[in-house]
Amino acid sequence: MSKNYQAIVIGAGPAGSSAALTMARAGLDVALVERGTFPGEKNMFGGILHRMTSIEEILPDFWERAPLERHIAKKGTTFMTDQASFHVQHETVNFDRAPYNGYTVFRPNFDRWLAEEAVKAGATLITRSTVDDLVLKDGRIAGVSIQGRSGQLNAPVVIAADGVLSFTAQKAGLRRPTFNADQMAVGVKALIDMPREMIDERFGLVRDQGFANEFVGCTGGVRGGGFLYTNYDSLSVGLVFHLGSLRISGKTPYDLLNEFMEQPQVAKLVRGGRLQEYSAHLIPEGGYNMIPEVVGNGILVTGDAAALCNATGVNLEGINLASHSGILAGRTVVEAHERNDFSTKTLKRYKERLDLSWIMQDLKGFKNAPKMLHINRIYNEYPDLVCSMMEHIYRIDGTPKMSIPKLVLREVKKKVGLKNAISDAFTAWRAL
Amino acid sequence: MNIDEIFDNTSFTIDREPHIILDTTVCTGCDNRGCANSCPARCYSWSEEEQKMTFVYDGCLECGTCYVVCHRNAFTRWRYPRGGFGVAYRMT
Repeated sequence: MSKNYQAIVIGAGPAGSSAALTMARAGLDVALVERGTFPGEKNMFGGILHRMTSIEEILPDFWERAPLERHIAKKGTTFMTDQASFHVQHETVNFDRAPYNGYTVFRPNFDRWLAEEAVKAGATLITRSTVDDLVLKDGRIAGVSIQGRSGQLNAPVVIAADGVLSFTAQKAGLRRPTFNADQMAVGVKALIDMPREMIDERFGLVRDQGFANEFVGCTGGVRGGGFLYTNYDSLSVGLVFHLGSLRISGKTPYDLLNEFMEQPQVAKLVRGGRLQEYSAHLIPEGGYNMIPEVVGNGILVTGDAAALCNATGVNLEGINLASHSGILAGRTVVEAHERNDFSTKTLKRYKERLDLSWIMQDLKGFKNAPKMLHINRIYNEYPDLVCSMMEHIYRIDGTPKMSIPKLVLREVKKKVGLKNAISDAFTAWRAL
Repeated sequence: MNIDEIFDNTSFTIDREPHIILDTTVCTGCDNRGCANSCPARCYSWSEEEQKMTFVYDGCLECGTCYVVCHRNAFTRWRYPRGGFGVAYRMT
């Protein structure tokens, strides 16, 4: 059985649902195809839902109606070893009032809600459907086929929003060469049940305030980092590993996650909680240099599928880029329908829009960040350096104290090497 | 967190038809086998004694790590499960 639509969106995540919503609002007959039994069933992130200014234009009451958890009022960074930790934290009343800077969310709730908004606008949501391949007719994209089903979905244009491992972009010849372990990371997460009052008490939170913390030095020397985010009555605790580094480390994500949660200072934070769910997901962390061709004849690539993810190590952004790129792709398809032309010539307007937007400006601006994150010393030597320096500064034991500059120099020489430290500082400066 | 108890914590609807098929003879000649340690669900186990790779897809979290780290192209098939099958996150 075949069905005809004016556009097909593959994947009902933030990029796909934003695209479908944009097109359905403009009156197009859109199919939003999702492989899960509901949107969000397969989705997982670290993560924080940051401000989404473009979706606020389409859904002005977005922040009132979306199923959110706590707003992030407090952000911390911890440098740690298996014994010690050094923690810095930022908190401002400006992040404790609307418009909030970010929220924790549960993807199975949030993604489902956003897809339902697209459905309310008139899009057709087709769940339990894994796209098998693009269907070509006379050398042009004419639709998609679904795994295990006969027939196909027809449309003159397809938006690939099928996530980080976008086989759609690959099959369309837009992702060349194929996926590269040096541009990918895998995140693993433990969802830990904890009473709301305990979380408020433990992390110093009131009302709907939330806390987000990132950790460095907790990945057994593998390039990567850790995170801990508060939901209403659970914690999201996890690690992210650079795949090129993980695969040669011989270490496993789950053993390292256990070691992380057993580190004395982290153990205190998760104590009394109960593991609810374990999940894993890939992250396209290669930045600007990883972006595939985002436009082909009859096809546009959005969100993680286009590697639109800003993982600089300071902020980790993905959903906001996904949603905005979906909206830009949706607008371009609406225009293509007005002209009845779905060739690269018309669709490349999407690329132009992306280039002009903050998405590409940010990714371009931080294009050296992945290079900085490849400095292996960040994951072991520097956290160790910070922790041991602080220990020396704070320790009072009846011996004469060294001046702080002298102490810093001695520790840098001992733990990292002066030449390395200067070269790393230069790389970091250029990256950020 | 005990990876052996993954089915207690994470829900799956397992398809009888595997979505990943591994040609384990390729793994025998592999000099890296990054899949065995990198897979977050421990779907791959290498036995040094038997010189043999064992693969199970039941607890696959569909993250794609194996697909990306395998540099020997050992997959006869690598695709996402049929619609409605595979891992089902509830609150992540």
